[in-house]
Amino acid sequence: MASSSSSGLTFKLHPLVIVNISDHYTRVKSQMHPPIGPHANDNSNGTDGATSLPPPVPRVYGCVIGIQRGRTVEIFNSFELLYDPSTHSLDRSFLEKKQDLYKKVFPNFYILGWYSTGSDAQESDMHIHKALMDINESPVYVLLNPSINHAQKDLPVTIYESELHVIDGIPQLIFVRSNYTIETVEAERISVDHVAHLKPSDGGSAATQLAAHLTGIHSAIKMLNSRIRVLHYYLLAMQKGDILCENSLLRQVSSLLRRLPAIESEKFQDDFLMEYNDTLLITYLAMFTNCSSTMNELVDKFNTAYDRHSRRGGRTAFM
Amino acid sequence: MDIEQKQADLIDHFVKQASALQGSALCPLIAEATSNTSLFAFSEILAIPSVLQLEGTSNSVYLDVLRLFAHGTWSDYKRNAGCLPQLVPEQVLKLKQLTVLTLAETNKVLPYDQLMQELDITNVRELEDFLINECMYAGIVRGKLDQLRRCFEVQFAAGRDLRPGQLGSMIHTLSNWLATSDNLLMSIQEKIKWADSMSELDKKHRKEVEDRVEEVKKSLSLKLQTVSRPTLTSEGMRRSTLNLVE
Repeated sequence: MASSSSSGLTFKLHPLVIVNISDHYTRVKSQMHPPIGPHANDNSNGTDGATSLPPPVPRVYGCVIGIQRGRTVEIFNSFELLYDPSTHSLDRSFLEKKQDLYKKVFPNFYILGWYSTGSDAQESDMHIHKALMDINESPVYVLLNPSINHAQKDLPVTIYESELHVIDGIPQLIFVRSNYTIETVEAERISVDHVAHLKPSDGGSAATQLAAHLTGIHSAIKMLNSRIRVLHYYLLAMQKGDILCENSLLRQVSSLLRRLPAIESEKFQDDFLMEYNDTLLITYLAMFTNCSSTMNELVDKFNTAYDRHSRRGGRTAFM
Repeated sequence: MDIEQKQADLIDHFVKQASALQGSALCPLIAEATSNTSLFAFSEILAIPSVLQLEGTSNSVYLDVLRLFAHGTWSDYKRNAGCLPQLVPEQVLKLKQLTVLTLAETNKVLPYDQLMQELDITNVRELEDFLINECMYAGIVRGKLDQLRRCFEVQFAAGRDLRPGQLGSMIHTLSNWLATSDNLLMSIQEKIKWADSMSELDKKHRKEVEDRVEEVKKSLSLKLQTVSRPTLTSEGMRRSTLNLVE
């Protein structure tokens, strides 16, 4: 069902949509009775009489809205819809009501399509797709795969379009995959950045904050490292003669390498060392203050202890 | 990187034309290629067999001109001006632009004096105009002009055609960069482990101290119960006080 799309439309997806869909899915999943989880399976394996199969993963549905300018389709926002399993369609009146409300706030946004969760597009999705075709003649279908796969590097979001293909002599609408890019507005970038840098909630000791900060730097440098490695391997292959020498690329690499070392001037060294020394001095000073206050407390307690002792009269204090 | 994109079509165009022509018909084509304002890459044209065949013929001067534009500078041209044909003003301009690129290869900070000498420009105003109009607006160089210190700091310079030996040195630089970043990754990991272990130690120490405080508190309350008159030995007093302030 999924070949690549040839419609030539470019899709731009905003992260708000992805967050909305995953939020909708998580809410529905956590509100289900019985809750889906490892302990639920243990319960059902007992003498409940319930089935030993885990309850089916819920599918959530909703609508995506955005702007279409020429050949570029930009999906900005989304809202949820109820799915009626008996008629296999989405709640139409609610959709229209929501559409009116959104039109008042965002007059430029149109309904561009719909979304759902799952691992792959299914045949039954075509009904919903066709139902939406009277609002938008070529709706898009955004599919989020909620299963967490740590090995996967890309986002588990796919965008499908519908195309009329002739299969066995019958023209049919099938889903074809399309490529998309992620586009962010400044506000979205800030919030995604914030979520990505979640610190431990108790503020942590200095060590955990340091570890978190260093981990961030580590992953950034690791990405750089892997890319340098690719370039290195490519150049080596070119030298050995495995690959044709592509002059344009070589020129670009040479201009890149000429930018190294990135900062080496004397002025930078001066400023850097000055800032380094300042930081060290301040740390030293803070430690001094800490030490002297601890000393002070110790002396106070010492005096208190020995004063009390000598007031009782008798022993010689102050060892 | 956009320069490469801008040039890609031009390069294709010239390559196609050059492959179709032979011998002396290539000479005007080479002249056209070297005068073109957006073309800075000549190694593709140099690689075409019909161009290489010009070697040794009466038209080999044009091949030399092409090689000069691919790898040489304005000073090279001046030195060999006798055996090379006269260059039109556009070619002179282009050669000077390429000279700036070559100079940017070795140093990141180019003093005005060196630039003026290499480019045969006598005053600073002209030099700056040249740098701004011809180099920066063309997009081949990006950098900052420092008039007080009379130097030009290059941040980015487009690549020139590669000499045959340059590939080796590029690989060398890349492997150095790779080694440095590997080392950096290792040291960051060590630092993270160090930070974690130090916080572990600190927590353990804190826990130990609190346990001892609890112990001493318990023993104190016990002693208060067992002894009628609260006389603690000075030794015990000192030990307990020191434990409390630890």
